Amino acid sequence: MSISVMTDLVVDPNIRGWVFLPIIVITFLVGIFRHYVSILLSSQKKVEIQQLQDSQIILRSRILRENAKYIPRSSFNMRRQFFNNQETGYLTQKREHTAPTMMTDPNMMTDMLKGNITNVIPMFIIGGWINWMFSGFITTKVPFPLTLRFKPMLQRGIELSHLDASWVSSASWYFLNVFGLRSIYALVLGENNAADQSKQMQDQMSGAAMAMPPDPKVAFKAEWEALEIVDHQWILQDIDNSLVDQ
Amino acid sequence: MEDLSWSEARDLFRTWRETNARKSNEVLYHWHLSLNINLNKLGNEKFLIVEQVCIAAFDCYQLDVANECIKLLSSEFPQSLRVKKYKAMRYEAQEDYVKALEILDSIIKADKSNSAPKKRKIAILKAQGRYVEAIRELTDYLKTFMADAEAWQELSELYIGEQDFAKAAFCVEELILHNPHNHLLHQRYADIKYTQGGFDNMELARSYYCQALKLNPTNIRALYGLYLTCTSIATSQKASAQKKKDAIKMSEWALTKLKGSYKEKGFETDLESRMSAMAIN
Repeated sequence: MSISVMTDLVVDPNIRGWVFLPIIVITFLVGIFRHYVSILLSSQKKVEIQQLQDSQIILRSRILRENAKYIPRSSFNMRRQFFNNQETGYLTQKREHTAPTMMTDPNMMTDMLKGNITNVIPMFIIGGWINWMFSGFITTKVPFPLTLRFKPMLQRGIELSHLDASWVSSASWYFLNVFGLRSIYALVLGENNAADQSKQMQDQMSGAAMAMPPDPKVAFKAEWEALEIVDHQWILQDIDNSLVDQ
Repeated sequence: MEDLSWSEARDLFRTWRETNARKSNEVLYHWHLSLNINLNKLGNEKFLIVEQVCIAAFDCYQLDVANECIKLLSSEFPQSLRVKKYKAMRYEAQEDYVKALEILDSIIKADKSNSAPKKRKIAILKAQGRYVEAIRELTDYLKTFMADAEAWQELSELYIGEQDFAKAAFCVEELILHNPHNHLLHQRYADIKYTQGGFDNMELARSYYCQALKLNPTNIRALYGLYLTCTSIATSQKASAQKKKDAIKMSEWALTKLKGSYKEKGFETDLESRMSAMAIN
């Protein structure tokens, strides 16, 4: 088979009407549906007052470290004592280990379940259904030549070794849509919508979706260390001379 | 006030919201003129603007407008705690503090980490003139929300009102840490230190007036403060000869600057005699 035969490959217009466009519409509608379902299922995260206090104290200590040079030394030392005092400092206090474990906290379990319902299940069901329903079609052709390496990416479900790599199979077209509709969702649903599946997939790959609430002890230890080594230099020491000299 | 079309008014309201400008009279003026007729054209911003008008209406005691806004908001967000806060604020505006506190307490009960109703409770105490209790509540609040610069500022003002300057200075230090490039904060800190008096505090005050001037050379109050602190240091018994000399030089510098800025504006005044009337010994 020669190259010239390949370029003459004519795709049935019915494929456009019954495969190409339906895949776009289906992925788009599924995204919209996911958005509203996740709004329906989302539970307002209750912030514990202790957690809030911890985050605020770390924020304040960070600001103190950065801008300490603007306040007099005695004021700085007073604050450092409050944070870092051996017995009574906020950052050195002993606290029970309170980080909730996965299995004991029922809220955590329902959150995970909800995440699965909106992320993983549609992914498998719709993906599988599309694969089964529209398998084996060539849907479109990208308007530029590609090397053979792209074949497994663009021609999933079609194992033809002689087919030009710029043809796209139906299953691959579905995946291209899943990843490519992000800006359309942003246009239709606004920023920060829940319709975009590709983001969740990235989260799952990197494990970020499983991230536990950070243990305050670790953050406190780091902050304590950083604050301990701050060398206070008051920048207003010589300001009167520099002002008059100007 | 000029008459604007509804879209211009909307843009103006947006800038006011972003800059935290509290132009209540103007807000109500534009509301009556154009916005309340075109409410449904506002799109996403509709309820933000209704909130803004609601607060403006409290300020100007136009409770009928406020009621209208609250009705709009609560029909859209029936369960919202934020709308509930506005209901409490309406009672506050009528000085019906018992009912306001009832609502605020119910909000806190529903969401312990919500800072707004706690702040409103402190505002009520302040409105009732119970400053000592307000200070106690506010310190309690700051134990949890200690990165809230607004609250530190309020606390510093309450302490100044009670003439507890050492604690007020602590609060202003906290504000300087949050925003070290605001000349007004440095000037305020210097004011407090000057009021506290004593040689060390005078020196501190002088440094901070200098910092305020460095950040904003047109800060006249800081120039006056600098002059006063320097003359006070120059006449102090604790100061060494070198320090006295520096202070005199500095006070002269401040005085020429002051005279210069008056001359620019076209005033001729006898500044020295006025200053000596102001100085504290």
